[in-house]
Amino acid sequence: MMPDNQLETFRRQPPAPLAPRPLNLPTPEETTLANGLRVVLVENARLPLVTYRLALRTGDAHDPPALPGLTDIVTSMLNEGTETRTSRRIADDVARIGATLGAGASSDNTTVAATALSQFDDQILDLMADITLRPSFPEDELELTKQNALQNLIAQRGQPSFLANERLARVMYGEHPYSVVSATPESIAAISRDDLVRFHRRRFIPNNAVLVVGGDIRRADALRRIEEFFGAWQPGEPEAAAFPDPPARARRTLYLVDRPGSAQSNIIIANAAITRTDPDYFPVLVMHTVLGANASSRIFMNLREDKGYTYGAYTSLDARRTAGSFRATAEVRTPVTGESLKEFFYELGRIREEPVTEKELLDAQNYLTGIFPIRLETLDGLIDQLIQIKMHDLPDDYLQTYRERVSAVTREQVQRVARRYVTPDIAAIVVVGDADALTDEIKGYAEEMEIYDSAGQRKDTPTPERAADETTTNGSNMSSTSTTGDQAGFVGSWQLEITSPLGPQTATLVVDEEGGALRGRMSSSWGEAPLDTITQSGDIFAAAIALKIQGMAIQANIEGRREGDNLSGTIRTNMPIVPPLMFTGRKIS
Amino acid sequence: MSASFTLPHIPIEQFTLENGLRVVLSEDHSVPVVSVCVYYDVGSRNEREGRTGFAHLFEHMMFQGSENVPKAAHFQYIFNSGGTMNGTTSSERTNYYETLPADQLPLALWLESDRMRSLKVTQENLDNQRNAVQEEKRLNYDNRPYSNAFLRLNELIYQNPANAHSTIGSMQDLDDATIEDIREFFRIYYAPNNAVLVIVGDFDPAEAGALVEKYFATIPRQPAPPGVDVSEPSEVAAPFETYPDPFAQLPALMLGWKAPARRTPDAYALTLASELLLEGESSRLYQKLVKGDESVIAVQGSIGERRGPSSLYVFAIPKPGRSTDEIRRAINEEIARLAAEGPSEEEMEKLRNSLLNDSVRGRQTTMYRAQRLAEYTLYDGDPHFVNTEVERYLAVTPDEIKDAVARYMRTDNHAVIEIIPAPEGTRQAEPAADAAAPQQEEEQPGAPPPQLPPRPSTPEPAPPTETPETPIARVTSEK
Repeated sequence: MMPDNQLETFRRQPPAPLAPRPLNLPTPEETTLANGLRVVLVENARLPLVTYRLALRTGDAHDPPALPGLTDIVTSMLNEGTETRTSRRIADDVARIGATLGAGASSDNTTVAATALSQFDDQILDLMADITLRPSFPEDELELTKQNALQNLIAQRGQPSFLANERLARVMYGEHPYSVVSATPESIAAISRDDLVRFHRRRFIPNNAVLVVGGDIRRADALRRIEEFFGAWQPGEPEAAAFPDPPARARRTLYLVDRPGSAQSNIIIANAAITRTDPDYFPVLVMHTVLGANASSRIFMNLREDKGYTYGAYTSLDARRTAGSFRATAEVRTPVTGESLKEFFYELGRIREEPVTEKELLDAQNYLTGIFPIRLETLDGLIDQLIQIKMHDLPDDYLQTYRERVSAVTREQVQRVARRYVTPDIAAIVVVGDADALTDEIKGYAEEMEIYDSAGQRKDTPTPERAADETTTNGSNMSSTSTTGDQAGFVGSWQLEITSPLGPQTATLVVDEEGGALRGRMSSSWGEAPLDTITQSGDIFAAAIALKIQGMAIQANIEGRREGDNLSGTIRTNMPIVPPLMFTGRKIS
Repeated sequence: MSASFTLPHIPIEQFTLENGLRVVLSEDHSVPVVSVCVYYDVGSRNEREGRTGFAHLFEHMMFQGSENVPKAAHFQYIFNSGGTMNGTTSSERTNYYETLPADQLPLALWLESDRMRSLKVTQENLDNQRNAVQEEKRLNYDNRPYSNAFLRLNELIYQNPANAHSTIGSMQDLDDATIEDIREFFRIYYAPNNAVLVIVGDFDPAEAGALVEKYFATIPRQPAPPGVDVSEPSEVAAPFETYPDPFAQLPALMLGWKAPARRTPDAYALTLASELLLEGESSRLYQKLVKGDESVIAVQGSIGERRGPSSLYVFAIPKPGRSTDEIRRAINEEIARLAAEGPSEEEMEKLRNSLLNDSVRGRQTTMYRAQRLAEYTLYDGDPHFVNTEVERYLAVTPDEIKDAVARYMRTDNHAVIEIIPAPEGTRQAEPAADAAAPQQEEEQPGAPPPQLPPRPSTPEPAPPTETPETPIARVTSEK
């Protein structure tokens, strides 16, 4: 398929670029309403479109600690009814003008976004203001939203990426609210209409928000109409939240989330890194680009193009308002999970030890400065940038100076930030995959290992007193351990609180001892049944039990850990529709 | 819709090189970027039994180097010049595309022409990319709830293997691919006379035309590829199947129908019908099932357009305690109501405005315009449909929608899959790459695998409609 010879010598080298063409950056105009709402307007009449985006400095991180998921429920309820429109009416009104209107939240911000043909400018702004300012949170719609949210909690556990991110957030952020990536069945059950109303009143305030408008508008008209729709919005008291620091890490630990039968292993290797406004942001951005931001970065070239372990391997820079992390990620086939960790750590070490080459630096800078105008092709892309500037208080000339700042980064800076933020010795490694197939392969890549099940519960035996060079790997074959240790501690009656998608359940567990072995029975609304094949080792016990849930006979395994007179653990059924049920309990006699 | 509204016009210049390469240029100086795409007329519809997944595997090989471009350097040249790129494969075609700063147009043409004229196919690259494709299959299908069942649905809908099998193909066929197979595939399908080149963005047309001539004109024409038989009887291949899914946490239901080929009067009408039934929170099935009956957690679906028979699917996840039979009956009742009564005046207004809104929004990017121009040129021989197609949709009457639903979305000719969660761990752990794959016959529809939104409030991302070659850089830092 190769031509016999190559007469066309111009093909031998990549061609030189043509004359550069100018980028005309838009000039946003900013003003502030009397109630404190900042308004940014960008005229762009290229297409007959108008886009509005309202961003509030409140996000999932500001959920009350007892109610994770509240912000998400609030945002998903905004278009489920207002003082004058039903849920159905909102959907129909938006659809009839062919527009889009939606709300969502990240950990730091909440946004309401709308786009329409400019001929429907008045209608879409009216709808957007209505759902933002006057949601009525109807009880019946809330009930439905909660039911569906609960089912989504179950469904998301089928996704390995969710399990990986959940575990990583827990270990990276500890007591900091970024550790929470999802609601819980308890919080969803607990959220009431009053919580929504209170939360909306306190946190949806104009003096904590910015409204960006772009497209086929005339500034004076747009501002007049915004004043008309948002001018009466009452300001409030912005609440400064002080979050605990994420925990300091001291050693490299592997967190293995067991997903039996998994066709791949999802890997995340993470270190604490920077916030979005850190002065190191641009050096870290360039370092990330050399190491793993795209398909020409080192990690992709190594793990995919050279080794063929994965469809894609990348780094990600998670720089948020109050904390951040730097992560390397890939989904790899199970038998090369260990080899993949080896290559990851090779690259994480190399970026620290050796300066990047001049060419690598320049390539990364060209990538970042080149894709910058591509992002500005759409109104949404431009508004993304403006929102980011406003939400993080970035300088007003951020767009104008972005490319200069990227180009100013030096090789020395790249190595300095790599040494500071890429710290493999104290990395958290999360692997989601089949523990039986993986444990031996990967346990050597960390000083210590913890094993979790797909419900997020610890599976292995935590042994805080173990020697530093020991690793715990027996999580999945606990039933083969001999009956040893503090057997008598389990004997007695235990009152269990079980979390289930159908609501909390209470159960009584009675354990006694006969002939050196434990026996027991559990009774609950799911029937009374004996515990079979009890095994116990130290503070851990496991047993099989037959339950009757919603009339169905179900086999289940119960695993628990005792701490004094407290017992906690998981009931796992053979029905995948029933998620693993977590319980806590205490000894009552 | 206001009668005065006219869609902004997309300028078009077209010519054909001596070697048969069709070229379309569209100038736009708003932002200094340029999008280039090359569409080859080869997709999974061209694959025969035992050779499934070849078009997509080949797409990976196109990034493995050519006479003057080293292996994997394609990514590097594009990214290091500040561009984005990808390649994808569907049933209909394989495409390659990049968006770059405007001054880098010669680079894109150099890269695309070098691999069209002189691709290097080596055993080592083949083995490596076979691994990458198999990981892609595991990532997007085998390791995800519901995804493989979607591939299976197409096998129940279509009788002709050319239509029924997936783009990702079977592990076994991928393992069996030899270097000779791949070379032969290149010779047959990757010829200038089997391709379309489109350039959209900030360039000078005379300069761009001269560059196209310089880089592409000397690539030799090849004999026309063999014809494709995508003919289908009107009956679905099988009406019902249960599908155990080890990663599904909840049971689910899928319905699939055969639909008419794209750009036929019935296809326009049925596309609009599927919008009314399935698109957004005002849609009939959302309002009936999620809201009214409160019987499902999610319902989604769409039409997958093809040059041969298209398909239409509906996917629903019932709430615990609601039977899939009950949900199926409710879906079919709503369809029957549309077939009997037709759409309302309000629904017609909604269709008109969302057609215009979508057309305008899409036009913002040079890449969207380049891809639509390439499709109309490749499939229909005329890029000007990009400006006129919306008129065809706007001309559809309520009676035509009603009539198309009655004739195509019939309960006596659809394929149904009931997905049942299988116990965790019932799957074999993944065997070594050279062992037989556990599921060789899984297929991809034109319809995408569904993703449950991770959070109740997150708007659902547009599902992928094709098999991407490599995930584009994640720019989480800039979010």
